[in-house]
Amino acid sequence: MADLRGNPGPDEPIPLGQRLFDNFFLLLIAGIVIMTVIYTAWGLWEVVSLPPATLP
Amino acid sequence: MTDSNFRTCGSTGLKVHGPAELLIKANAVVSVVALLIGAIGAVLLVLTRWQAVHLLSAPWYYRILGVHGMSMLIFFIIFFEMAVLYFASTVVINARQVMPKLGWASFGLMVVGAVMVEVMMWTGKADVLFTSYVPLRADPLFYLGVILFAVGALIVTSMFFANLVVAKREKRYEGSVPLVTFGAVAAAIIAIITLLHGAAIYIPTFLWSLGLMEVDAQIYRLIWWGLGHSSQQINVAAMVAIWYMLGALTVGAVVINEKISRLAFVLYILFISMASAHHLLVDPGMGPTWKIVNTSYFMYMAVLASMIHGFTVPAGMELGQRLRGFTSGLFEWLRKAPWSDPGFSSLVFSVVVFGFVGGITGVTIGTEQINIIVHNTLRVPGHFHATVVSGTAMAFMGATYYLIPLIFRKRVAFWGLAKIQPYLFALGMLIFTMSMTFAGSFGVPRRHWDITFSQAPFGIEFSPAVDLLLGIVALGGLMAATGAFIFVAIAVKSVFFGEPLGEITRGTAMVGVPAGLTHPPVHSSNVDELNAELHQPGRSWRLGPAPGTVVLVGVFLLAFVVYFFVNWKVLSFVWKIG
Repeated sequence: MADLRGNPGPDEPIPLGQRLFDNFFLLLIAGIVIMTVIYTAWGLWEVVSLPPATLP
Repeated sequence: MTDSNFRTCGSTGLKVHGPAELLIKANAVVSVVALLIGAIGAVLLVLTRWQAVHLLSAPWYYRILGVHGMSMLIFFIIFFEMAVLYFASTVVINARQVMPKLGWASFGLMVVGAVMVEVMMWTGKADVLFTSYVPLRADPLFYLGVILFAVGALIVTSMFFANLVVAKREKRYEGSVPLVTFGAVAAAIIAIITLLHGAAIYIPTFLWSLGLMEVDAQIYRLIWWGLGHSSQQINVAAMVAIWYMLGALTVGAVVINEKISRLAFVLYILFISMASAHHLLVDPGMGPTWKIVNTSYFMYMAVLASMIHGFTVPAGMELGQRLRGFTSGLFEWLRKAPWSDPGFSSLVFSVVVFGFVGGITGVTIGTEQINIIVHNTLRVPGHFHATVVSGTAMAFMGATYYLIPLIFRKRVAFWGLAKIQPYLFALGMLIFTMSMTFAGSFGVPRRHWDITFSQAPFGIEFSPAVDLLLGIVALGGLMAATGAFIFVAIAVKSVFFGEPLGEITRGTAMVGVPAGLTHPPVHSSNVDELNAELHQPGRSWRLGPAPGTVVLVGVFLLAFVVYFFVNWKVLSFVWKIG
């Protein structure tokens, strides 16, 4: 039987969600990748692909 | 490693590893020193923005503004977060501190870095404000100081994960880590994202300050805010972890749903850092799609996470109180809560002001269209003082009232003052943030020495209400600063000159010991019966087992909707059609 923290008993398989959440390094990689792709890399691409402004 | 380095806490039964305890103490002490420097800066700043006083000269105003920002947002907060990481990866899971010498080396790096930055700023060699935007150029030692500090913090964060790996291998805990430690995991991951961005921008900027390379101003702002704003998201995760801890210690709060609370922390890990884009909403270099995707915290997933915690924390407190027998009506659990326990009052004020003022304003002004009437006005510092100061600093203060007896094993000094300190600090900050927000609504700029624009070749007049509002900003700020100084006095007296705690006598009130330790919140003997009754369908107008919290959350959502739509209405005044 699961305990109060949701940990399964000795004979029960650990649910997939709990295994994912317990994998800190997977979470770390996911956090870095999402931020790097959506904020940083996409932002850099926006800046470097700006056409030069024409002088008035 | 033998168990001889451990002591068992008489109050909580947790095993405390000696080397970890020393590192927690050192980081907490330096954090309070930084708080003191930042609070002195705060007093000077509010007395300058108060037009009737206008204390500092222009150069000193901007110098102190930089000192205040770095001392508070970086040094105070991050040193305390290092203490939280050590605490959550050792004490909470009965584990040992790995590589304590490396911990001291990184602590040394952080202290040296912080001192270098402070010296450069106070001596006028780094008048570049908190953001140090290129092409404003500071002395290279300023950038080097920031880099050393960040490297130290990165090492501590890595040691946090090493502690968890070793603890698992040594079977210090079974199954998943406790929720408080999981919150610290979220904070640590966000810290790594933050520090990587810090390295990516401060190392080139250091080289630029030496004349060795060029740095593009727009790219600087993009990458720097990956550090500048994300560092404040470390606070959010650490603060929420402390909310759960203080709730359990003060009123026996329960976690109403582990999966939901952990999911909310994971949403922070995945989506909260991209809120950095809020600062670039008026930058012409970034396109609207990038802005909207990022400032929506990827379609509001991180906002959802905060709203989950904003419900589960008070609901857990309510349920804990009801399981202790406070079941009458909607709010007996709140009326009969330990309001004289500074840990509890700090927790409540932190949750309420963070949510109602910081959260609502943050999501609203982070909307791309609305941001145009907010950007660079006092509404922005009005928002982040509600989150970082009223929310995070208040929670850290509440935690300190428990750390002093549990980790330093001293009584909390000036106990009478400690009981009122959270009220003074929270009320001062509420007045400060609200009046700042209103002043910003009149267009008053932030980071501005003289809004009368004296001797300027153009004239700008603000509403006469602005002078009154800036006076109220100063009064609120001075009240909050007084609360901060009282906190520093309590912490310093307790830690360095405090009375040793000795044994805590359960059931007897002790001067200098929070009620959560002398009277640990214990659920009623008929807890199963109470629990079954609370979960009966149809009970309390069908509002579930925590009806009081549901009502409070309803008030919050109503305030959110009203504030959001008022801002759209105000925006419509900007472009008059026809």
